[in-house]
Amino acid sequence: MSAQTILFFNNFFAILTVVALVGAVGLLIFRVVRGPEAATLLGSKAVWLAWVVALVATIGSLMYSELFHYVPCRLCWFQRIAMYPLAVVLLVGALRREVAVKFYAIPIALIGLVISIYHNVLQFFPSLEGTSCDPLVPCSARSIEMFGFMDLPFMAGAGFIVIAVLLAFYTKAPE
Amino acid sequence: MTQRTKPKPGAKDAKGKTTLWWIVGGVVGLGLIVALAASIATEPEVDESIGYGDPTVEGEPLPVYAAGTQDVALGLTAPTVSGADWEGNPVTIEPNGNAKIILFLAHWCPHCQNEVPVVQDWVDAGNLPEDVELISVVTSTDRSRTNWPPQDWLEEEGWTSPSVMDDQIGTVAANYGMAGTPFYVVLDGENVNLGRVSGEIGVDGLNALAALAQSG
Repeated sequence: MSAQTILFFNNFFAILTVVALVGAVGLLIFRVVRGPEAATLLGSKAVWLAWVVALVATIGSLMYSELFHYVPCRLCWFQRIAMYPLAVVLLVGALRREVAVKFYAIPIALIGLVISIYHNVLQFFPSLEGTSCDPLVPCSARSIEMFGFMDLPFMAGAGFIVIAVLLAFYTKAPE
Repeated sequence: MTQRTKPKPGAKDAKGKTTLWWIVGGVVGLGLIVALAASIATEPEVDESIGYGDPTVEGEPLPVYAAGTQDVALGLTAPTVSGADWEGNPVTIEPNGNAKIILFLAHWCPHCQNEVPVVQDWVDAGNLPEDVELISVVTSTDRSRTNWPPQDWLEEEGWTSPSVMDDQIGTVAANYGMAGTPFYVVLDGENVNLGRVSGEIGVDGLNALAALAQSG
């Protein structure tokens, strides 16, 4: 895989992360401004959007490890453990139109978010992990650096936030 | 018993239209992101070959360093290394009568990024004894990782010590038993290992290593 291809996908996922985060923040602001009625804005589309986010995050994560040969660190694996099932659970929930899926998926997304936050903190404060780098896959080392601050755990964390926010907006569409 | 309300005429069409708009909007948005990502993904103008060296190593390798235990390599002779820095100037780690502090660095390692300015300030302050050489080994180099290429980073930090560029598989690091970066090895004038330590050691640690080197 050429360096330019990897750079393209770094840019792609970084921009996607920003757009998704802005969208999630917009939804939250809308909810605050409009009150409870705002919760029906997306209806059943919310779960489909959340599934798309989980699917893109899963595919992206597999691309980085399997195509670009970035070896996932320990904390990356914990985040994968949270993200990958969401791509399946949300699809089943969306197909079955079960609003209850959010009660299963949101806790998983929040657990993933906590791990992502810790991973990001570790990258900004590597001394939390120790004083030296594992020469193979240290959690404190950045794999990529987009816009001067964004690495893969930031993207994963954004994915978890967006999924959780979208699912909070998931209501059954009126028949 | 509740009666199911009949959908209003045209409601299904409206729903279908809304879904279509969502899909169209999504595709257009995705296209814009792809176009933007492609437009800023320009090939970095860096010669891939200069991140690595082609050093030769002669001698028995030191066992892998284990932190927190007595170094089993104490008193063993470290291999002789013949390599070059990123400009092609020859750099050797050989038994030439001078004590040495060898510092292994990885460009992507945040601890190395913290340690390099500390070491350079320590050297600039004249703390490196005249009879002790400080040689760095640029290792674990990986183009796909951040802070590439390593020589740009070291030049930005004003690095003045001779550096050996390790090869892509980290031959020098493996022969010195490196288990993490930054990694220090103190050698006497005959390349005998006086001590190894891994991690950020700061000024106090550097002073201790310099004293250890002089004691040899």
